[in-house]
Amino acid sequence: MQVLNWFLRRKDESVRTKARDRMRLMLIHDRLELPADRLASLEEELIAVVGRYFEIDRETTRFDLQQYERRAALIANFPLLRSKV
Amino acid sequence: MSGRVIVITSGKGGVGKTTASANIGVALAATGSSVALLDMDIGLRNLDILMGLENRVVYNLVDVIEERCKLRQALVKDKRLPNLCLLPAAQTRDKTAVNADQMKALCGELKELFDYVVVDSPAGIETGFQNAVAGAEEAVVITTPEMSAVRDADRIIGLLEARKDEIQQYRLVLNRIRPSMVKSNDMMSVEDVLEILSVKLLGVVPEDEQIIVSTNKGEPVAGTDNTRSGLAFRNIARRLKGEDVPLMDLDALNNTWLTKVVNFFAPVRA
Repeated sequence: MQVLNWFLRRKDESVRTKARDRMRLMLIHDRLELPADRLASLEEELIAVVGRYFEIDRETTRFDLQQYERRAALIANFPLLRSKV
Repeated sequence: MSGRVIVITSGKGGVGKTTASANIGVALAATGSSVALLDMDIGLRNLDILMGLENRVVYNLVDVIEERCKLRQALVKDKRLPNLCLLPAAQTRDKTAVNADQMKALCGELKELFDYVVVDSPAGIETGFQNAVAGAEEAVVITTPEMSAVRDADRIIGLLEARKDEIQQYRLVLNRIRPSMVKSNDMMSVEDVLEILSVKLLGVVPEDEQIIVSTNKGEPVAGTDNTRSGLAFRNIARRLKGEDVPLMDLDALNNTWLTKVVNFFAPVRA
C-alpha cells in the first residue's frame, strides 16, 4: 500500500509542480504589490455588480490572475444562467 | 580601450554571487581578455579568499576612492593569470563608505584599463546593491532553483528594469541545479524558473562539491579542466563574449553508476 501511495503521490502532486504554482502566484502578488485578500474582495464586489443584472453560475465561475511575460492579467469568467428582470 | 562593466547580483545571500564572480573573471581572463574583479561587498570581503589572494591585499577599493593610494597600487595580480586583477573590498568599513558617483567614476577608470570589469555585488537591495550597479551597463542575475532565491531574483530583475537607461542587458545564471532532483520532480527545472521569471538565460551551473574544494584551495574551478561547474562557468564566459555555446546536457551529469562508468571512458561533455 505504501508503495502504491508513493507512486500515486509522484504522479498527482509532484513537489516540482507545487513549487512552480506557488512561485507563480507569489510573484504575481509581489510584482503588483497586491495584498493576499485583495483579489477575493474584488471578486465579491464584481459578482455583486454583475449579479444585479444576471444570475451567475457560481459553480463554474473563474476568477484569477495569470502571468504574461513579466505582467499579470486578470481573468474573470462569470457564466450567466439568465438575466434578471 | 573601453571595456564592459558587468555586475553579478542576486538579492539573496548564499546563492553563489562571489563564486560566480571569481569564476567568470577567471574564465574570461583564460580566453585572453584583460579582466578586473571588483569586490563591492564592503565590510564582508570574500572574493580575495576565493581567488587565493588574501595574503596579497595591501590597499582596497575605499583607499582608492579616498585617495590614499593610486588605483594601480590597489590592484592585486592573480597568481596564475597575468591579465587578471582583483580590486578588494575594505573589510573594516561599511556600504556607506562609497557612493554611486564615486563608483561610476571608478568603473569609468577601470574600463579604460581592462576589457572586462566584473563587479561582485553584496546581497540585499539597499545602498550596497545600488552602488554596485551604479557603474555597470550589464548585469548577471544569479539564483538557485529554490523558491526564496527565485523570489529575490525577481525583485532584483524589477530593480534592473527600473534602471533600463543604464543597465542595457541582464541575463540569468541558474546555479546549483541538481539534475537528479529535477528528474524525480522534487525541484523546479531550468525551464520552470525561466518561465516564471521571464528572463534570458546566460547559463546553468550544476551542483558540484568541487566548488567547496576550490574555495578551500583558493583556485576557482573555471581555471581547472576537469570539473563540471568549471566547464559551466567557461561556457558562461564564452556566451558573454558573444559565442553561441549550447547548454550542458544535465541528464548526462546524473550520477548513476552507469553514467559514472561512461564518463570515466568519455571526455567531459559540454
